[in-house]
Amino acid sequence: MRELYSKQDTLALRRKHIGPSCKVFFAADPVKIVRAQRQYMFDERGDRYLDCINNVAHVGHCHPEVVKAALEQMEALNTNSRFLHDNIVEYARRLSATLPEKLSVCYFTNSGCLNRSEANDLALRLARQFRGHQDVITLDHAYHGHLSSLIEISPYKFRKGKDVKKEFVHVAPAPDTYRGKYREDHADPANAYADEVKEIIEKAHNSGRKIAAFIAESMQSCGGQIIPPAGYFQKVAEYVHRAGGVFIADEVQVGFGRVGKHFWSFQMQGEDFVPDIVTMGKPMGNGHPMACVVTTKEIAEAFSSSGMEYFNTYGGNPVSSAIGLAVLNIIENEDLQGNATRVGDYLTELLNKQKAKHTLIGDIRGIGLFIGIDLVKDRQERTPATDEAQHVIYKMKEKRVLLSADGPHRNVLKIKPPMCFTEEDAKFMVDQLDEILTVLEEAIGAKSESVISENTPCRAKMPNEARSELLGEGASDPRENPGQKRNGLCTDKHSLLSKRLKT
Amino acid sequence: MMNRVQNTSTVSTTWLMAAHEQNQVLNTNSRYLHDNIVDYAQRLSETLPEKLSVFYFLNSGSEANDLALRLARQYTGHWDVVVLDHAYHGHLSSLIDISPYKFRDLDGQKEWVHVAPLPDTYRGLYQEDHPDPAGAYANEVKRVVSSVQEKGRKIAAFFVESLPSVAGQIIPPAGFFQEVAEHIHGAGGVFVADEIQVGFGRVGKHFWAFQLQGEDFVPDIVTMGKSIGNGHPVACVATTQAVARAFEATGVEYFNTFGGSPVSCAVGLAVLDVLEKEQLQAHAASVGSYLMELLEEQKAKHPIIGDVRGTGLFIGVDLIKDEATRTPATEEANYVVSRLKDYYILLSTDGPGRNVLKFKPPMCFSVDNAQHVVAKMDAILTDMEGKMRSCETLRLRP
Repeated sequence: MRELYSKQDTLALRRKHIGPSCKVFFAADPVKIVRAQRQYMFDERGDRYLDCINNVAHVGHCHPEVVKAALEQMEALNTNSRFLHDNIVEYARRLSATLPEKLSVCYFTNSGCLNRSEANDLALRLARQFRGHQDVITLDHAYHGHLSSLIEISPYKFRKGKDVKKEFVHVAPAPDTYRGKYREDHADPANAYADEVKEIIEKAHNSGRKIAAFIAESMQSCGGQIIPPAGYFQKVAEYVHRAGGVFIADEVQVGFGRVGKHFWSFQMQGEDFVPDIVTMGKPMGNGHPMACVVTTKEIAEAFSSSGMEYFNTYGGNPVSSAIGLAVLNIIENEDLQGNATRVGDYLTELLNKQKAKHTLIGDIRGIGLFIGIDLVKDRQERTPATDEAQHVIYKMKEKRVLLSADGPHRNVLKIKPPMCFTEEDAKFMVDQLDEILTVLEEAIGAKSESVISENTPCRAKMPNEARSELLGEGASDPRENPGQKRNGLCTDKHSLLSKRLKT
Repeated sequence: MMNRVQNTSTVSTTWLMAAHEQNQVLNTNSRYLHDNIVDYAQRLSETLPEKLSVFYFLNSGSEANDLALRLARQYTGHWDVVVLDHAYHGHLSSLIDISPYKFRDLDGQKEWVHVAPLPDTYRGLYQEDHPDPAGAYANEVKRVVSSVQEKGRKIAAFFVESLPSVAGQIIPPAGFFQEVAEHIHGAGGVFVADEIQVGFGRVGKHFWAFQLQGEDFVPDIVTMGKSIGNGHPVACVATTQAVARAFEATGVEYFNTFGGSPVSCAVGLAVLDVLEKEQLQAHAASVGSYLMELLEEQKAKHPIIGDVRGTGLFIGVDLIKDEATRTPATEEANYVVSRLKDYYILLSTDGPGRNVLKFKPPMCFSVDNAQHVVAKMDAILTDMEGKMRSCETLRLRP
């Protein structure tokens, strides 16, 4: 497809007509992508990038079978779900077959994550209707969507903006065993974190409030690729059920086999754990807007007894259902779960070797093809290396690898590529990262682990000049104003830093 | 007949091929530069008044209205919303709160929501015999605004479907929006026109339904959906630079995973192309007025038809039990719809009395289709007059 506008013109038109709150990756030097296949994206010059970001293109960008399924259905019929059609029921059947038996009722919506919005909004309504309770317990740094109702339960968003925490929202500490309250050296972090939830429930009850739901991403993504310790969900569910609430597992970023070992991330917690409501989206349609809420018969019946019809113009339409089915088939036929385990394990192994080599890497955590590289200025203090992370992703882009940084301190490099990611891709990615970290560490004078004395905690600092160039004179520290800098939204000064580091 | 989501012919090749071609090449999020999204934004801006030049792309009408609410609140710094009775703006929690059509049966009215009477000149407070219904209904809004202010509350927005659809295919009298906008702006609020059901040329005379109100009327925010993508999940919010900048000033990024994707924009562009090439707006005007003519004839013939109202291919046929009281003929309307299905004609009812037959078909609806539907309707109504005695209006004419 030929380009309509030059890259400059595209950018200019974007500035003119697209809401300025809608940011681009790498704002200092945006990427114009015109084509994508499998795990690769191509810019307007035909340069190929390795995509480590796009979990939405779950089975690979523009997978021909998904495209074919969409075309065939679009040629036949695409209408709303108030008419009977085979696709939606077949899809619901196949989907519920991947889940524990009691999760058997599906509601289809259009948007999952970041607009996990519609699905999560509906999940909240289901939870509230069930017993008439109102309050919601959410995790710190959680992100459940951009709708009004979901920003209210997403500390990741409401802490940044002018919004205040609503009184019906209770925030529990994120079960982060690397940087959180209870760490890897704690005897029983699962229980310790679960007890925090128990305390919250007690406090809420003391104020006469009632818990409708506990909602958590099965693995926090925007929160920094956090894997909750096994057993945490079970304990939390116990406390929440006792209080008459339900457990909502937000699988929007992490479902559909990404963790390798299981189809759903919540299954990592243990065979004995079954949430009451599961929301899914993003990877479901390989890029086609789709999402879904699955719940129990009991909860569904309570909702329908409210008398209200739930209708969603596009949700569950024949084309979306056909696409969803195609995606499920591909995951199975191409053994993408197996691939996620194999490549994920290999990638983790390579990254752990990097961790032994580079002091900037504080932690490697992940499972399957959901991995986070936590960059720190100081291994003991675990101070987030925010600027360095930004620098790394820009340099990776120059090396044609697309990576993003997240976490509350924007210092976790997140890896969640299309599931067809190969071992060669993993090796390539890590080789580039190795080079960049080596140069970066030399430039900022970081010493290897063996040289750091315990009495003088060394904070690996960037030279002052480089630092102020990166931030721009007089600009505020990105950590104080995280809303304005994310995924490489730094100023042009960034390129100055890289020049300096090369000398 | 019910499917307003399909503006163009169900298998219009242009639309299909645009989606298919783009699907094969790239479908990813809007954090990368791409030509489709900017091209689409530019094309949309050409259909709108100049000051509505900034766009946000999303996937559903509900998402669009939710964002509109956030934009309004951020821009004005106020919280409260004024809506019309029987309005429906979407199924999300925030939107059920501003949809009397829904909240009356569920959680009830929130204290930050204020309901003004529906400007229904057939069954409302001020009817067709009133000298100035637009002014009278606008005054009702003014009254609502004043009482809100007396309570020390502040208005963020007036939210209205440009042509209230679930309220019963209502055509607000011209001039109503302008006067309301004056009162709302005076109170520091913004005017949000929900075009989700009715935009994209459906009304025939104009591209956007709010344009029926007059050249001098420009809303502050417009939401679009449904027909925008011919069935593909697409939606959009259009607003002014000022509103967009105020939203940006929160410092919080707005990101929508699928909104503005290359495929969605390709589809949106294809729909605009087809609308233009096949001259569907003009077509809607001519077939629509022909259909209205036929329906008026039916109204003269069958007393059960209390009112025929509409514009372009957005028409409502209001069935009543009694001419004097205009009581909705709910069961009869239901019956008509089920009989039509036997004739393979799909029609639905709406309005608080579930008695308004609503016509909002794909825009390629033809003169033949119009004749066919009306002929069947005629037959069914005649039959009902012969066999049923369920209401005054189903009496045999002497």
